[in-house]
Amino acid sequence: MNRPTLVSLLAVVWALLLGDPALRHLAVGLGLGVLIVRLFPGGVGPGATLRRPDLRASLRRGVAWLRLLGFFLRELTVANVQVALLALQSRPRLNPLIVEVPLRLRSEGMLTLLAFTITLMPGTVAMGLSRDRRTLYAHAIGTADAEAARASIVRVESYLLPLETPPSSLSPTGGPA
Amino acid sequence: MDDFRLARDLPILFGAFFVLTAAIGVVRFPDLYSRLHASSKLVTLGSAGIFLGVAFALSDAAAFTRLAAVLLFQFLTTPLSAYLIAQAAYLRGLPPILTGGVDEWGALGRADEVAQADREAQRLLAAESGEDEG
Repeated sequence: MNRPTLVSLLAVVWALLLGDPALRHLAVGLGLGVLIVRLFPGGVGPGATLRRPDLRASLRRGVAWLRLLGFFLRELTVANVQVALLALQSRPRLNPLIVEVPLRLRSEGMLTLLAFTITLMPGTVAMGLSRDRRTLYAHAIGTADAEAARASIVRVESYLLPLETPPSSLSPTGGPA
Repeated sequence: MDDFRLARDLPILFGAFFVLTAAIGVVRFPDLYSRLHASSKLVTLGSAGIFLGVAFALSDAAAFTRLAAVLLFQFLTTPLSAYLIAQAAYLRGLPPILTGGVDEWGALGRADEVAQADREAQRLLAAESGEDEG
């Protein structure tokens, strides 16, 4: 995440916590944000690629984010009902297994988002990444077999792929994991 | 002084149900890895319900935004801790119960090797990017 985005995000969180979106609070939040980002520069990603904002591309990304959000909320509900049923059944068929998933995503941020999302989704909890960041390992319960567990993770990944910025993401980013 | 307010009590009941099933799941599931499913997914939705109910009970705008921020951090931290717990347990060699099939990772208990490989990979990445850090 680049510096301006990070700082404004911190300002919004500050205003949310105060429960008052007054301008002076946002200003204080911005100041705190600048301070925090200065104190912890590790969170800042590669510098913002200063391109002319492409309206159509931003629109596409916005739609992709919304699609991801809708998908996520639906799956979160399914996941909870599923695990609740497993917890309450007298003889649950957990069928636990550990699967590896070859990854198409490359950027660090998107890999983080993928790991977070599958942990809150039906059947899978992220466990690790291979050292080359090309493979994700996940623990699965309540799925038919390894193929089914893998397929559900690949489906999440396909929602994230359109959000990955294509040109610069191939080079490794400087931010620490 | 009504005894039951729908907007307040229904989400709290909903959330309490999922937190309760999370507790039951944590007790009943066979190993740490399965238990993480219960503690991460169920507690996230359960606390979302409880927060919503509490926001309605307090019913002022600040309560809603504060609890929204709390929920946001809940969503950000729960999967992270589940990931770290699972990874640490696995690499330290806590055997998972796998009735469903094989372990495709196959790195059980190899914490030192993985840490070593990670350090090497970091060095390579740093060298490749050709930029000095910090």
